[in-house]
Amino acid sequence: MENLLDIGFLIESFPAIVARLPITIGIAVGSLIISLFIGLTTALIKIYRVPVLKTISSCYVSFIRGTPLLVQIYLVFYGIPKVIYYFQTEYGWFQNVDVNIIPPEIYALLAFSINLGAYLSETIRSAIESVDRGQFEAAKAIGMSPTQMMLKIIFPQALAVAIPNLGNMFISTIKDTSLVFIIGVIDIMGQAKILGSRGLAFFEVYIAVSIVYWIVCIVVERLLVIVEKRARRYERGFVS
Amino acid sequence: MIKVENIHKYYDQQHVLKGINLSVKKGEVVSILGPSGSGKSTLLRCINFLESPTSGIVEINGKKVNSESASKKDILDLRTLTGMVFQQYNLFKNLTVLQNVMIGLTSVKRINPVEAKKKSIEILEKVGLQNRLNHYPVQLSGGQQQRVGIARALALNPEVLLFDEPTSSLDPELVDEVLTVIKDVANEGNTMLIVTHELNFAREISDRIIFMEDGLILEEGSAEQIFSNPSVERTKKFLSKVLRK
Repeated sequence: MENLLDIGFLIESFPAIVARLPITIGIAVGSLIISLFIGLTTALIKIYRVPVLKTISSCYVSFIRGTPLLVQIYLVFYGIPKVIYYFQTEYGWFQNVDVNIIPPEIYALLAFSINLGAYLSETIRSAIESVDRGQFEAAKAIGMSPTQMMLKIIFPQALAVAIPNLGNMFISTIKDTSLVFIIGVIDIMGQAKILGSRGLAFFEVYIAVSIVYWIVCIVVERLLVIVEKRARRYERGFVS
Repeated sequence: MIKVENIHKYYDQQHVLKGINLSVKKGEVVSILGPSGSGKSTLLRCINFLESPTSGIVEINGKKVNSESASKKDILDLRTLTGMVFQQYNLFKNLTVLQNVMIGLTSVKRINPVEAKKKSIEILEKVGLQNRLNHYPVQLSGGQQQRVGIARALALNPEVLLFDEPTSSLDPELVDEVLTVIKDVANEGNTMLIVTHELNFAREISDRIIFMEDGLILEEGSAEQIFSNPSVERTKKFLSKVLRK
C-alpha cells in the first residue's frame, strides 16, 4: 500500500524552501516601507484636501481596492516595461534603463507597494483623524510648525492607533506574496512548486510551504504585540 | 503689551465677535466674564490665531498681525509670544511631564536639551510637580495635568498667558490647587488674560474685568467696580445669577 505522505521528502524540501525566505520577506518588508510613504502621502493629501491631488489619490485608492491583486501584478509586470520602452523610443527618455534586465522581484515589489499603499492610505488617514483636536491646538499654541506638530505629536499617537491594522495588513501581504511566482519570482512558494514538480510530490511540498508561512506569521504576530506595547506605553505606564 | 483692534469673527453666517477692541498693559491680569456663547473663548483663541479672526488686528509687543494679510510666519511668530492653558489641559499624551514642558524649548526655541531640561525642572518645581517628571499625562489627576499645562505655557516665557476656562473640567476638590498656581503666576508679574467662571477667583486676582455678551464687550472696569457697582443691567443680572449659586 502506498503511503499517504512521503515524510522524508517533506522534511528534505524544507531547507530549499527556507532558502527562498529572504525573497518573500524582502518583498513584504520592502513593500511595507514604500507603501507607508505612499499611504501617508495620500492620507495627508486627503486630510488637507489638496486640490487635484485629492482626486488623483481617491481614484488610485478606489482602483486598487476595486481590482484583484493578481491583475495588478500583471499590469505592473507587463505594463511598466512597455511604458518605459515607449518613452525610450518616442521621446528618448530613460536611455540608461534596460527593460530586459529588470528582475521580476522589482516588479513584484512595486506591485505590492502600490497595492498596500492604497489600503494603508485609509488606515493612516483615520488614525491621524482619530487624534484629539486638542493635541493639534496645543502644538500650534506653543508655536510648533505643522511639520514639527505632525512628527512629534500627531504621528506617534496615530501610529499607536494604527498598529493593529497595519499589522494585519502586513500579515496579509506576507501571505499574498505567494502570488509572485506567476511573474517568475522564485519565492518560497515558487520554490515549493519547483520541488513539487521535480519529485511529483505536490501535497508534501505544499504542506511544507504552508508550515513555513505559518511560522513566519506567528513570529510577526509576536513582534507586533511587542511593537504595539511600546508604541502605546504612554497610555498606561512609566518610561522604563 | 497687547492690543486687539476691531476683531470680527464669523462662522459661516454666524457673527460671533462683533468688533472687539481691547488693550492689556504689561503685567496686567484681565479676566473675561460672560454667559456661555458670548464669544469669550473665541476672543482668546483669536489672539493666538487658533481661530483666525475674519478681520481685525492683533498686536503683541510690537508684533502686529492683520488677520486679513497674515502669513504663516506671522502667525507662528505671534504664537511664540503667547502661551495658552486649555480647559481640557491638552497635554501631549505621548510625552512625559518633563517632555511636555521641554518640547517647546527644544523644538520651537531651539534651546539645547541640557539647558531646556534644567529650566523645565525649575518650572515644574514651581507648580509642585518635580516628583512627577517621568509620568505620562494619563497617570496624573486633572489638577496635576492642568498644572503641567500651566508649566508648559510658562516655559516659553510668553508675553501673555491665555487661560481658557482653566478649571472648568476639574473636579471641585481639585480646583483650588490649580487656582493657587495661577495666583502665583499672576503675582510674578505675568501678563494674563483669563476666561473663567470662577467669579470669586476673578475678583481676587484681576486688575481689570471685562464682561462680554453676544460678541461684544458690554462693560469693563476694576474688579471692585464690576462686582459691587456694575453699570450695565445685563452685567448685574449675570453676576447676581451666578453669585447666588
